[in-house]
Amino acid sequence: MSQTSDLSWHQSTEENGSQPPLSLQNVHVSYRTRAGSVQAVRGVTLDLLAGESLALIGESGSGKTTLGLGIVRLLVDTAEVSPGQIIYRRDGRELDVLSLAEGPLREFRWRDCAMVFQSALNAFNPVLKVWDQVWDTAKAHNWNNRSEVRERFLDLLRFVQLDPDRVIDAYAHELSGGMRQRTLLAISLLLDPQILILDEPTTALDILTQRTIIDLLRRLKEDLHFTMLFISHDLAIAAELADRVATMYAGQVVELGPVSEIFYRPRHPYSLGLIRAVPTVTGGFEELSSIPGSPPDLINLPSGCKFHPRCPFASERCSREEPGLERVGDNHFAACWHTDAVQEDIERNGLRGRRAA
Amino acid sequence: MATATDVSNVSPRGSTSPHSVLRAIWSSYFFRKFLRALATIFVVTTIIFFLVRLLPGNPIEIYVNQLIVTYGMPVHEAQDQAAALFAIDLDEPVILQYFSYLQNLARGNFGQSVLSPGTTVTEVILRFLPWTLFSVGLGLLISFTVGVLLGVIMAYRRDSFLDHGFTVVSSIISSVPDFLIGLLLVVWLGVQWKIIPIGAMRGAYSSGMVPGFNLEFFADALFHGALPISTYVLTSVGFWMLSMKSNTISTLGEDYVTIAKARGLKEWRITTAYVGRNAILPLFTILTIRVGFVVGGSLLVEQIFEYGGIGRMLGQAINQRDYTLMQGIFLIITFSVIFANFFADVLYGWLDPRIKLQDN
Ligand SMILES: Nc1ncnc2c1ncn2[C@@H]1O[C@H](COP(=O)(O)OP(=O)(O)OP(=O)(O)O)[C@@H](O)[C@H]1O
Ligand code: SF4
Ligand SMILES: [Mg+2]
Repeated sequence: MSQTSDLSWHQSTEENGSQPPLSLQNVHVSYRTRAGSVQAVRGVTLDLLAGESLALIGESGSGKTTLGLGIVRLLVDTAEVSPGQIIYRRDGRELDVLSLAEGPLREFRWRDCAMVFQSALNAFNPVLKVWDQVWDTAKAHNWNNRSEVRERFLDLLRFVQLDPDRVIDAYAHELSGGMRQRTLLAISLLLDPQILILDEPTTALDILTQRTIIDLLRRLKEDLHFTMLFISHDLAIAAELADRVATMYAGQVVELGPVSEIFYRPRHPYSLGLIRAVPTVTGGFEELSSIPGSPPDLINLPSGCKFHPRCPFASERCSREEPGLERVGDNHFAACWHTDAVQEDIERNGLRGRRAA
Repeated sequence: MATATDVSNVSPRGSTSPHSVLRAIWSSYFFRKFLRALATIFVVTTIIFFLVRLLPGNPIEIYVNQLIVTYGMPVHEAQDQAAALFAIDLDEPVILQYFSYLQNLARGNFGQSVLSPGTTVTEVILRFLPWTLFSVGLGLLISFTVGVLLGVIMAYRRDSFLDHGFTVVSSIISSVPDFLIGLLLVVWLGVQWKIIPIGAMRGAYSSGMVPGFNLEFFADALFHGALPISTYVLTSVGFWMLSMKSNTISTLGEDYVTIAKARGLKEWRITTAYVGRNAILPLFTILTIRVGFVVGGSLLVEQIFEYGGIGRMLGQAINQRDYTLMQGIFLIITFSVIFANFFADVLYGWLDPRIKLQDN
């Protein structure tokens, strides 16, 4: 029972499905604020393929969390998702997530699509034991066999390398940050979801705990072929865990492609900037802050390409016309007028660029 | 400093005899609190003893004045009568009075009422205190329940007409002192509009009623308690509403609530076990502390409605400078405040699993 291969029950049904389990089509999200409408996500079209691990990278404020929360419909009341469509597929059935009614939405959440949140420190109800919250989750999805649920959760705790007997009856405050994050990860696997969304699963953890979690996620990906959408600041982690990478800027996917393409042959100046901003020492746990300039004001967006005020490749056209995602290679897309110039620059100066100082 | 990792070492399934460790912390914590409570009671008792004697006039003077004013007695005669009546020697040095008071107190003897010799303070308290506990307790219970429920509704319907309406009304009512509300009830409902029979509602129950555990008596007690109880409810319900509303709103923003939704939990389960339980937690402490002020808080309201509770007795005792009765009632007040604080701690530790370890 406790072998990892038992942790995932959905393998067989999934392999044959050629349809992606999740398709985002032209998804827009805006927040109503006093200052105006914050355009947090602007027309994201993205397929999450069965068994793949897709990394969403980008600076703070680029709309990654907003997109993740939008998929499970957990955005605050002031957020509006429109226009756009989110299609979820499982076993040949197709759901329009944005128009799900209360009941089906509850079923969709966690059973079909589980999400591990950015700040797991506060993820647990402080007055309920871990087990009570696990049991709540199972019951909410009509899984009423107590001993079976408990058995499965103990297995999952072992999988995330926690002492199961110690954690299961603990309160959140009795667990360290890393333990909580791993417990949440274990709970996210409870119902064997088809899709797992992980929002910065390693931020705010010490390096050792980060390592443990990354190793766990790698096992999820490599051994269990989980379909994962994971959001990260950290390019090193994205490089390690992702099959494909989507770079987000100002609420849009500006580059999308296989992990090796994005990290070794980026064609969008922003992706290139992100890569060049990572310190060369392969620690890589730095925040991405060293692209000159600051992210755009999402209420009053710049004209043309949203990156043009910060872009070293910008031309006059960039400030007038906004580029769309175009194919630039095998499964590789970028939204930029001057992808060729980016390629030339890499050829001339190397991927990491010629550092002046 | 109890950090998360420290705590994990003493958690129930740790390595070294964790239960005894926990119990030791627990018991010593309460032992310390108990000692502190005893000391507080002693200090307050002492202060009250001297304070009541600092009030202008003494029971005999007041009684003598009464005799002179009401019966037109000559001064000498009045003094003689007073001296014969009272079993208190006010000429004894205060410090000696104090020690004999303490001695009696240690034996659980509160002494006799100065003004009604033969009646012990304990008798007075036992007779009137239950009515105060009944009326204020019921008032508190009603206002807490109603306030908490309305507070949650207001939080869930934030910025609705209902929310704004309740907020305005409750802010206004909670800023009016209770005795004023009591007076307004008497003046409007009783005197001007004559909606309710103010006169018949005096006392704790109708004369001729035999106290007992039956419906008839309970209904009668409710009838007599209705005005003070309504006053307590009106003055405090706004506080519970607004506190519960703001606690609920902030709890709704907690990550664990969002995650509970993400886990697909039913709305009702989230509202009760995730939002409600955490939002109400701090209110329980305030509730228990307020229970401690039951006796003290009844003072003015009971006098306005002439309700037969301990607050009204205290009013009389103060007016007549009945030292021993005042001391007795103040001691009960002190005791209930301290006990309530003590109880609030126990309750909170019991309701909130995080508390037990934090004190260490
Ligand atoms: N509740 C909200 N109301 C208004 N604006 C919001 C709200 N939540 C997020 N935003 C704005 O939407 C934009 C996208 O935020 P989001 O949290 O999705 O970014 P992110 O990419 O996840 O950033 P980070 O890496 O810091 O987590 C930001 O500009 C943010 O200020
Ligand atoms: S379109 Fe122009 S401004 Fe935008 S990224 Fe490409 S080169 Fe830079
Ligand atoms: Mg985020």
